[in-house]
Amino acid sequence: MGRKVKDNFAKGIIYLATGITLSVLIFIVGFIFVKGIGLVNFDFLTRDFNEKVFYAFVQNEDVSMSIDEEALKQKTPFDDRYESLIEGPIYVDNIGAAIAKVTYKNNATEHEQLVISYIEKNSPLTNAADSTGKEMRIGTDYVIQSINGTDFEGLSLDEAAALIKNQSDELKIKVVQPGGGVKSNIITTLYMVLLSLVIAIPLGIFGAIYLTEYAKPGRFVNTIRFAAECLSGIPSIIFGLFGMAFFVVALKLQISLLSGSLTVAIILLPVIIRSTEEALKTVPTSFREGSLALGATKLQTIFKVVLPCAVPGIATAVLLSIGRVVGESAALLLTAGTVAQIPGTLLSPGSTLTVQAYYVAKEEGNIELACAIGIVIIVIVIVLNILSRIMSDKLDVFNKK
Amino acid sequence: MDKKIKFNTKNLDLFYGDFQALKSINLEICEKEVTAFIGPSGCGKSTFLRCLNRMNDLIESVRIEGEILFDGQDINGDIDVINLRTRVGMVFQKPNPFPMSIYENIAYGPKCQGLKDKTQLDKLVKESLIKAALWEEVKDRLNKSALGLSGGQQQRLCIARTIAMQPEVILMDEPTSALDPIATAKIEDLMSKLKKDYTIIIVTHSMQQAGRISDKTAFFLMGEVVEYGETPVIFTNPADKRTEDYITGRFG
Amino acid sequence: MEAIKRKKLRERIIENIFLLCACVAVISLLAITFFVFYNGLAPFVSNSYSLWSFLTGVEWRPGSNMYGIFYMIVGSVLATFGAILIGVPVAILTAVFIAEMAGSRAGKVIRFAVELLAGIPSVLYGVFGLGIIVPYVLKISPMAQGESLLATVFVLAIMILPTVVSISETSLSAVPKEYREGSYALGASKIQTIFRVVLPAAKSGIMTGVILGIGRAIGETMAVMLVCGNPIAGIPTSLFSQIRPLTTNIALEMGYASGVHQELLYSTGVVLFVFIMIINFAVNRIVKTKVGN
Repeated sequence: MGRKVKDNFAKGIIYLATGITLSVLIFIVGFIFVKGIGLVNFDFLTRDFNEKVFYAFVQNEDVSMSIDEEALKQKTPFDDRYESLIEGPIYVDNIGAAIAKVTYKNNATEHEQLVISYIEKNSPLTNAADSTGKEMRIGTDYVIQSINGTDFEGLSLDEAAALIKNQSDELKIKVVQPGGGVKSNIITTLYMVLLSLVIAIPLGIFGAIYLTEYAKPGRFVNTIRFAAECLSGIPSIIFGLFGMAFFVVALKLQISLLSGSLTVAIILLPVIIRSTEEALKTVPTSFREGSLALGATKLQTIFKVVLPCAVPGIATAVLLSIGRVVGESAALLLTAGTVAQIPGTLLSPGSTLTVQAYYVAKEEGNIELACAIGIVIIVIVIVLNILSRIMSDKLDVFNKK
Repeated sequence: MDKKIKFNTKNLDLFYGDFQALKSINLEICEKEVTAFIGPSGCGKSTFLRCLNRMNDLIESVRIEGEILFDGQDINGDIDVINLRTRVGMVFQKPNPFPMSIYENIAYGPKCQGLKDKTQLDKLVKESLIKAALWEEVKDRLNKSALGLSGGQQQRLCIARTIAMQPEVILMDEPTSALDPIATAKIEDLMSKLKKDYTIIIVTHSMQQAGRISDKTAFFLMGEVVEYGETPVIFTNPADKRTEDYITGRFG
Repeated sequence: MEAIKRKKLRERIIENIFLLCACVAVISLLAITFFVFYNGLAPFVSNSYSLWSFLTGVEWRPGSNMYGIFYMIVGSVLATFGAILIGVPVAILTAVFIAEMAGSRAGKVIRFAVELLAGIPSVLYGVFGLGIIVPYVLKISPMAQGESLLATVFVLAIMILPTVVSISETSLSAVPKEYREGSYALGASKIQTIFRVVLPAAKSGIMTGVILGIGRAIGETMAVMLVCGNPIAGIPTSLFSQIRPLTTNIALEMGYASGVHQELLYSTGVVLFVFIMIINFAVNRIVKTKVGN
């Protein structure tokens, strides 16, 4: 009897522990989704993080409104992160768009602004260009500040509309492109993933080939394995320190996309080497012997027989690596910076989604925004997880055969 | 037959998923005898053995129909499996001592039953080892790892471990198949000594072994019991043609 | 003949390229060690700061040339210890559930959940900590802020779960089924079998998982940075004290530090590095003794 009580007690504790683990996951993911989902929309994904002020040149061209007044009132896609409506909207023919007056909040400062609330399909605003002639599309939610040198500051909505109507020929409009999105971070993340994989994958795969196909087991192989193991145990902040000392300072690559991806490539190396090695080991020796017996060289055997068999394993490694790059933050903080921009060159800085999430949480204390970025990251992680599961299932099928 | 019947199975069927591994087994196994199950690989003899202490419970897809009466009680019914296994011990094909000391291996079962008294445990360990003819060899290193013993010693340790539970029946699943001839001889010797206290049921691949040690023999083929009877009769004058073929080495 | 020679030469060249790639891991490790130590030991070699006051100081005030990291070491060790204390039992029992008690479907689901937990970037754990744990700690804390040792311990305990669960689960599943059968045949119940036979048999694998968990906890930066408070001085005296682990010290100030200040951040890295190396060697030893058995 005593034993049964004890057993049930132990069972209860085991269930409890499992419950804690599961609920922690659900709680974290749930927290991030609940907090952040309100901010995730199309604009969030397609806008830059920072506002951008520029002058747009627009042809004066009358376009009549194709919807009625009621519908126009509905078309107030004001971004509720920034704006609440004061007046309007009023449709202005010669730019083919409606403007409205709103209070515009940015980093706790609040002031009245004119924003574009609706744009006709063939409005001249859709063909706007900047001073160099580069196309600069103006969209809804953009703030307009001045036209042909005349500031809108202090004007009522009607006065502003009249001012726009009275312009002839080309219009030079000072616009503010709204920020708050993570487009640049998504693109930086993408660059970072591509670049670090391009560096780490060949190194890792070739290294693994050497270890499994060429090296004789012994001290040398053990040394490399030990090094790889040590590397995988080093915290990423140390990689960051190294990247800063070596790539950023010694090689003068600055805090940049390149420094970041080189640093991350080293972080990825052990994962890729180990998974590739394991994948190569599962290829039966008889395959190699068969190929060699047919007169193929060792290299041909490796590339035509062994590697193709190991592809699912290697693909899993690649997916794991992508996940690692997406999740990396400490090392990138020190080597790629926190500037939310699309890096123009290899030597420009840029922040990935994860670094951006850290930045907004720590420096701005904006947990909602950090969670919104978190949603994007978690979705990426889940997709990668599912893909790698499918991949390793494929590997199993190969093994069963 | 004046001996008491220990196990009695009635129309026992066993399925692994859709595959029927045992077909309508009807056997009566007597107390304090050695009963041997022989037959070719995959004939169901081990599966049947594992039914007798419900070890098949560990395999998910197994379904059992029919009755197994142990001292008249159906063990497939609502019984305490743990209690059953303390009364019906088992020794496996591969010696499987736990990665603990020799002493702990033998004290394990009694401790699981809640026995804590040190002097009682010491006595039990010693007695079991003596009964299993291992005491002389290991008495100086009871606290050393059991994994350091030779294969034959490990198997005798497993027998000692089973004896420590003071079971009524000992099931042995090819206990000597992983051992060399000398170790095998020692275990066979042990079995003939143990049978005065315990009912022993052994699955074996070796017909010679069955002939040497068992009182009764059952010949299994394709999940059925082809023939069951006194060992000398089965080996010298089998009633069934298939038994004769197997025993004379024409197949299997 | 010429063609064969060329073919052979090509094979040799490519083999050497492979060799070179294999060496990159070793070279990187050496380079990392060299650069971190070179920069980190410089201030002590050139006597611009005393090693003793660096290691024993309890104030980090770059403005007044005070760089003591003793209170950070204490913070790091306490946070790691606390995380292990909470996280490891939960993780091992979860692993037991997956390996021993769950049906194949439930096992799959939980395993997937654990993998997902492992895939969530550390920053998001930090955001979670900042959004949920810190406010809760604040409610029960006598201090004016929720960022604390306690919050750090909770975040780290969560973060080591996946590492310890998956490694423990692997080593539990690797325990031969003969042990389990032997135990059941002796009349042991399932729970007794798990706690008396299976867990002890998987001991070394589980230890490896725990040590890797320690490594993860002590090396964690971004999540901790958001919830630990990062004070400039003071050994933590209670669970509600703010702490400043070694890792966050580096990440916080590396961006703008220069001169001795920067070098001493590298020195902080050296101390962290030494901790990690000790852990690595411990893992290596455990794995080796396991093979030895």
